[in-house]
Amino acid sequence: MPPDGPSATEADPSSLFANYDRGGFFDEVFDADDQVRPHYAALLAGLDRFTPEDLVRRARIRDAAFRSQGITFTVYDEGEGIERTFPMDLLPRIVPADEWQHIEDGLVQRVTALNSFLDDLYVGERAAIHDGIIPTWLVETSDGFNREAFGIPVPLGARCLVAGVDLVRDGEGTYRVLEDNLRNPSGVSYVIENRVAMTRVLPTVFANQQIRSVDHYGRSLLNALNRVAPPASGDQPTVVVLTPGVFNSAYFEHVFLASQMGVELVEGRDLVVDDHVVSMRTTQGLKRVDVIYRRIDDAFLDPVVFRSDSTLGVPGLMAAARAGNVTIANAVGNGVADDKAVYAYVPELIRYYLGEEPILPNVETYLLWDEDQRAEVLDRLDELVVKPVAEAGGYGIVIGPAASDAELEECRANIEADPRNYIAQEVVSLSRHPSLVEDHLEGRHIDLRPFVLSGGDIEVIPGGLTRVAMRRGSLVVNSSQGGGSKDTWVLAKGVELVVEAEDESTEVESSAIDVEELS
Amino acid sequence: MLARDAESLFWTGRYLERAEDTARLLDVTYHGLLETSPAEEAQAWSDVLAAVRLGQVFADGRRPITAATVSEYLVFDPKNAGSILSAVEQARENARTVREQLSTELWESLNSFCLELRGRNLRADLEYQPHELYGMVRRQCQTVAGVAAETMARDEGWRFFVLGWNLERAEMSCRLLSVRYRQLSPSAFHQWMNTLRSASGLEAYRRSYRASMDPADVVEFLLLSRTFPRSVLFSLRTAENALGHLALDGELTRPLRQLGRLRSGLEFADVRELLQGDLGEELHLVEEGIRQVAASVATQYFSNSREFDLHSLHLMPGEGGIR
Repeated sequence: MPPDGPSATEADPSSLFANYDRGGFFDEVFDADDQVRPHYAALLAGLDRFTPEDLVRRARIRDAAFRSQGITFTVYDEGEGIERTFPMDLLPRIVPADEWQHIEDGLVQRVTALNSFLDDLYVGERAAIHDGIIPTWLVETSDGFNREAFGIPVPLGARCLVAGVDLVRDGEGTYRVLEDNLRNPSGVSYVIENRVAMTRVLPTVFANQQIRSVDHYGRSLLNALNRVAPPASGDQPTVVVLTPGVFNSAYFEHVFLASQMGVELVEGRDLVVDDHVVSMRTTQGLKRVDVIYRRIDDAFLDPVVFRSDSTLGVPGLMAAARAGNVTIANAVGNGVADDKAVYAYVPELIRYYLGEEPILPNVETYLLWDEDQRAEVLDRLDELVVKPVAEAGGYGIVIGPAASDAELEECRANIEADPRNYIAQEVVSLSRHPSLVEDHLEGRHIDLRPFVLSGGDIEVIPGGLTRVAMRRGSLVVNSSQGGGSKDTWVLAKGVELVVEAEDESTEVESSAIDVEELS
Repeated sequence: MLARDAESLFWTGRYLERAEDTARLLDVTYHGLLETSPAEEAQAWSDVLAAVRLGQVFADGRRPITAATVSEYLVFDPKNAGSILSAVEQARENARTVREQLSTELWESLNSFCLELRGRNLRADLEYQPHELYGMVRRQCQTVAGVAAETMARDEGWRFFVLGWNLERAEMSCRLLSVRYRQLSPSAFHQWMNTLRSASGLEAYRRSYRASMDPADVVEFLLLSRTFPRSVLFSLRTAENALGHLALDGELTRPLRQLGRLRSGLEFADVRELLQGDLGEELHLVEEGIRQVAASVATQYFSNSREFDLHSLHLMPGEGGIR
């Protein structure tokens, strides 16, 4: 056995999970009777050969690899930028084919409705408002609502070109939408890099499973961007990725996307607008740009119409978009549709635009400007989660059961001062997944952010970013709040799983898996 | 390619070469001085500072010139933007802004180099194992160069990388010579050998000139060799070749014309004539010429200032453009 191979000690199948405790939560791997769910059988068989120490060592190898490859995000502390790796837990999360089909159908439906709503609002007749589906004042008081976006066309109505929809599973295992991210959802680079890392540090666990690949994301994104190019730009539109620059915490992802698509990564200062045409400054002079996949917030895009102190943006960009000479993706003004108060109306918007029942339910949400709902919420503040409507990244959330009296009082005062600015939700007891904690496995809460591409057809990348709340008991999974991630495996449909020893030197004694049960 | 990306690649090349040259220079100086008198030593270290054009800045700091102070200043002083550590950090920062243009292996080798350097106790290295440290810097720079040569497409990005790399090398070799030519006496055998060594040229030199240490031969070798890749002429030829590829349709751009004139001056020079005249002045002119070429490259390729001025004239929506 090679020195780097799995430990030679006879691995007891239960050793990794020796003292594992579901803790009364919905567990992704074990059912209510502590039996392994069938879609995890092959993985656990593959993991039999590893001791916790093996996993710890491999986790270190992975960490060193991410660091030398510069797969990092930047955290700013007292003006000093520190590059951190995004921790990846070595146990992958597995979604069986039928569950994934359900998720995919639900996401396509939801993003279709959200695109319709945004197009209706910004270039349409505002039918949903006129028909009383959603109140005018609610839309117009949203931070993400943007008057500058009126009349700016987006080919194919693909306003949410990239959407990241955060899903959670509740105590019964039902997938629910926690929030929509329609402005600049990030994390897709980790989806792909996590997979690459997994195949390198734990190649053997991939045996005997048919896992859908994710590395075509760059091609799919470029296709979608090509399709929303202004009609006049012809067959070979010039696409660029617009980044705020090297100091942005997600810079690695911007680089990653540009190189996956093989397009230029530009900063605002590389672009100029002349006569409503956008060009980039190259070594050979100016070159026209047709589609901008921007990773800059609306407010910084164009100092002429938005924040005049922005040096990240491009003066005149909005006018060029209005003239139809360039497409900005994601579209300007999308924030109105991922506002957490507007979120409560999305099921109604799905019924209104598509005439269908929502496939993926929301989390039960209370709107605090409604007097009755507010009274009930203030009554049960210690049982609910309160979120500011316009924040992303897990900032400003108050989790009732975990909050101190003082925090609850502050929260109450905030709600009473500005009820429009908050929503309250029932606490979802997020599902848990075994995760490597120091040298053993413990259950940790997880969510799932799949990525959805609109460009005419809607495509869902099989998998997504599974985020893990690495702190014991924590429900907050955001990377800015100490979260980690997992590789996410979507199993292919109708594949016969055959478990066999893949080579003679490794004695896999785990063929006692009921193949019929799996297929 | 994007003007900004071209500029970053140019500087990535320059900074890497600067780090490598500085490491070579320090290594040779340090080990060449182990058997000399204190006076010679002080002179040698101030020569080093002059070769990297930091003599004045260092003197302003009112520090004594010793092996320790100069080495620390040139290896890891955070206030010195020309220290090896700063140069490698800046090479990495420049590469980071053009990562999508680089192969994964290239980025990884440069990134690991930088992380390794950051992770070391450089003060202790200087005290106990300077040769190991300088060797590491040299090897890692050569690794990056090798990975670049093996993985980068010969497109614009590559040309700018090579251009920056070789202009820095030519300039550095030139300064090294200016500092050393004053010790022209044939008796300074020791210094001349070290000069060759710091350019990694001792073996190649011996094959061409045998064991002679005639200063004229050394100057000819380091300045005018057509076969040794670190000679001034060879570096300028390589840079000129890169610039030629960058000029569209064989256009004679300003930097290309300047570099061509500079290179042909050396191409047809005769070392005996140079030594009879004022070699110091001659080297100074070449060095100045190289700086002018770099400035013209920036104007030609990195700034695009003409378009930018035009653009700033009418950025409000609805205003007509000036045709």
